Amino acid sequence: MDFYIGLMQVIGVHTLLGLSAWCVLHTGQVSLAQGGFFAIGAYGAGMLTAMAGWPLGGALAAAALLSGLVAVTVGFPALRVKGLMLVVATTAFAEIVRLVFFNLKWQVQTPQGPVGPDGGLGFGGIRYFPAHAWSGLEVLALIWSLVAAVMLTLWWLDRSRVGTLWRAVGEDEVAAQSAGINLTIAKVSAFGIGGVIAGLAGGLFSHNTTHIEHGNFTILLATFAIAYPILGGLKSLAGTLVAVVFIQGLLIEGLRFLGDWRSLLFGALILAVMLVRPGGVLAAPLQWPTNRRKPASGTAVPQERTGHA
Amino acid sequence: MSWIDFLDLMQSLLDGVMFGATYALIGIGFTLIFGVMHKINLSYAAASVGAAYLSLLIVQVAPAPAVYLLAALSGGVLGALVYYLCFRFLPLSQPLATLMSTVGMLLVLEEAIVHATAGMPQNYPAAFAGVVFDIGPFMLRGDLLFVFALGCAAMLGLKLMLERTRLGLATRAVAQQPVAAQLCGMSVDGTNASTFVIAGLLGGTAGAMTGAAIGVLSPLLTLPLTVKGLVVTVIGGLGSIPGAILAGLIVGGVENLFQFLRGVSERDIYVMLMLFAFLVFRPGGLFAAPGGRD
Amino acid sequence: MSISRIGTMALIAATTLFATSAQAQGREVKIYGFGAKSGVVRIFGLNSEAAMKAAADQINKAGGVTLGDGTKAKLVIEYLDDRCTAEEGINALRRIAAQPDAFVAVGPTCSNVAEPVFGILQKKVGDAGDTGLQFPVYTDVAAKGGLASMSQWAFRNVPSEAAMYKSLFDWIKATHPEVKTIWGGVEKDFAHSNATFGVMKDLATKAGFEVKGQSEWLLADTTFSTQVRELRRGEADLVMISAHPFTTCGVLKEMQRQGVKPKMMVGLTSSSSMETLQGCAAQAEGMLIPTSFAPVTADARKAAGALQAAGASMDLHNAAAWENIYTLKELIEKAKIMAKPDTIQADRQKIREALANAKETSGLLGKVGRTDDREAVKPFLFVKATKGEWAVAHKPN
Repeated sequence: MDFYIGLMQVIGVHTLLGLSAWCVLHTGQVSLAQGGFFAIGAYGAGMLTAMAGWPLGGALAAAALLSGLVAVTVGFPALRVKGLMLVVATTAFAEIVRLVFFNLKWQVQTPQGPVGPDGGLGFGGIRYFPAHAWSGLEVLALIWSLVAAVMLTLWWLDRSRVGTLWRAVGEDEVAAQSAGINLTIAKVSAFGIGGVIAGLAGGLFSHNTTHIEHGNFTILLATFAIAYPILGGLKSLAGTLVAVVFIQGLLIEGLRFLGDWRSLLFGALILAVMLVRPGGVLAAPLQWPTNRRKPASGTAVPQERTGHA
Repeated sequence: MSWIDFLDLMQSLLDGVMFGATYALIGIGFTLIFGVMHKINLSYAAASVGAAYLSLLIVQVAPAPAVYLLAALSGGVLGALVYYLCFRFLPLSQPLATLMSTVGMLLVLEEAIVHATAGMPQNYPAAFAGVVFDIGPFMLRGDLLFVFALGCAAMLGLKLMLERTRLGLATRAVAQQPVAAQLCGMSVDGTNASTFVIAGLLGGTAGAMTGAAIGVLSPLLTLPLTVKGLVVTVIGGLGSIPGAILAGLIVGGVENLFQFLRGVSERDIYVMLMLFAFLVFRPGGLFAAPGGRD
Repeated sequence: MSISRIGTMALIAATTLFATSAQAQGREVKIYGFGAKSGVVRIFGLNSEAAMKAAADQINKAGGVTLGDGTKAKLVIEYLDDRCTAEEGINALRRIAAQPDAFVAVGPTCSNVAEPVFGILQKKVGDAGDTGLQFPVYTDVAAKGGLASMSQWAFRNVPSEAAMYKSLFDWIKATHPEVKTIWGGVEKDFAHSNATFGVMKDLATKAGFEVKGQSEWLLADTTFSTQVRELRRGEADLVMISAHPFTTCGVLKEMQRQGVKPKMMVGLTSSSSMETLQGCAAQAEGMLIPTSFAPVTADARKAAGALQAAGASMDLHNAAAWENIYTLKELIEKAKIMAKPDTIQADRQKIREALANAKETSGLLGKVGRTDDREAVKPFLFVKATKGEWAVAHKPN
């Protein structure tokens, strides 16, 4: 039972990460920076509970807000570029964040010894959950109530005017601008909200694993973050959840019986899913890979949007 | 700064620029695919390293040049494979799908390498390994000069191909206006496939040269090379081959310069900051791509 | 939501659940292992698994393990891949702990997995206010210093690098008086090499050497010209490199290129394996590394031979895995483990007690001691890269 609870905890944290990328992808930007905000949330929340003795709720909120602030600050200059350049810019940002934490050395003395980030050696001792006698189920409940709250908020935002603006910017920037939508506000707001969610996910992550280091927050994590909404289907929030269950539940844990083949099949199955469901698992109806390319929605010209990579 | 320190600084810069030739080769492939298909192929560096690994199959029986040739050819084959698996059957209306499919491919290639070699570093034959030129107080690595020369030759070859051959004409046409090209009787899929094969040939060479320059091959190479390739592509200008070469040299040089000045922990931060500077002040890159949509 | 979508989601959920159920059969005693079998460090997991299975084979051939009720049982090994990531390591251990036949696990192989895994364990046995996992872990490979002190459920059979390098530097001082200065090289972004370098520097200074400076690089670096030039300018007698085989070979090849030939070279314990020799045997010639395994005793030779027959080679890492299996066999018999689903919780407590009380265990090179912190005090010796092999240079007593 403990194992399933633990697995559901991991799925919950990764769902939050995927949702943060969903926000940003919704406005048509491919951002590999979610890993960076995840890291800020992880270190921030960890430092507040382990070094400053803050209660968990306050630490998570503060860390999430900090990530959101950084996201907005980075968003303004970064979102002036599009497509591949944005991918690279966000990759660069995420790498800078990782390297900052690689260099960060700040420890305080506690009765159990020095606690705090120790540069390349990482930051251990974030034992808030076990030390405060949180049971696995309680942690699970916390994580999933946060996931539910975030999903509800995003669903509500999506149905409101904000969602319409985001989708408009995502579909066609030029048309949106002509309709009077302020592109910068739309993109930066999505980026900022994505940052807050990623920071929240990071805070939960560091408390779950009790020890974090710069190696946890590489480009690979950022790639997973955007993989979840893309694999799940950008049109639906539930798609992200399905994709996380698929990757973490099935591909990583479920396929353990395959032994050595598991890691080989990991990439192959992602590739396969994209081939049979290019729009994501919960998108359009199933289509087999066909030699004849159907024109997209009646237009003869294949869409070449400069906003996408 | 003392005279010796200054000399060391210049030597570091020089070494970095020379090593940047390997980044340039990878960058050319990335930018070629982007220029023609406007899509990123994230598995490119992994395929290049994979091609170098495949060339190890004959390393016991063949001399170094034959090994490099096999690496280039394997790269071409892998390029075609990547095209057919990751791009050919994915609809253009879903641009993010190819991003994910190439990520899947990257993971498969990397794990395949790890499973085949148990992750252990493999010795790679070096060309001109012991050759060093002493120019005044500076030392130039012969093998890196060879890589640089190869990169220039590749650029020249590509330029000639693009401007003088029918395939090059088709490539440029498909890049600018795929529908019009199709109306003129060019096979879009065939042209794209050939582009991938050519990029693959270059990638295989790049993988081989990187392996030769370091002396060992390791699956550790794939992710950093992917990131460097992307950085070089953006700095050089999307779709510009001379831009990719120049950007590769610049990135190599800046990397080593800051390694010398600030040490390894901060080195990459400066490289990324340089990228940001380019994005802010010169978003088109060094040379904006020729042609493109009107 | 359409039927097909619900069906798809149900199928995914069902496969996940089915695939995670374990099957138990016969009178068997199962020891689980976990470690990295994917990624660059795959060789560690492969080797550990091979050693554990070979040891189990030998034990079974000799009659198996005697359980608490006197019956003989077959020893079975099951190994899980944690891909050298924190989350999967924790998942793997939780998965093991959920099995009805699991009472001890050997692993992990990566230090950056060991720290989070030990972090989720209960810190002090019997502390009702600590909801950490209560499952004994007996580590074979993850060697970053001091980790076992994190939990009373964590035990390690890894060499104490502090003891080994102290002895090495003292020996070098005694036998090579012409070596006075040292220049260090360190791989900064990997937990093990970074931490050990601090230890090496400290002990070298205490032994009376002058550490003139250090060069740094990262795990995946490919060009070392700047670092090696610094090294060359340092003109030290001895170069000590705390890095894994890929970058060690890169640095050594660059040293050859720039004509840097120090009087002596010292390497990182993990690099005393086939990997280094496969990458750069010629350039590594003469490198001295302290290690806790070499085929110098009858037991060691027998174990290495058994492993060779199974297709793997033995080095200090999987030698520890082999030793762990034999130690656990003894402790299972001593603690009268029953290995039945209804006794399994008690078995975990019993094996933890037994591990905690075992102040001395048998290793392939001799007796292995135990510190209060549940770390091991292993016999060691120094090996030197000679003509493509690791030959014994000195055996300190």
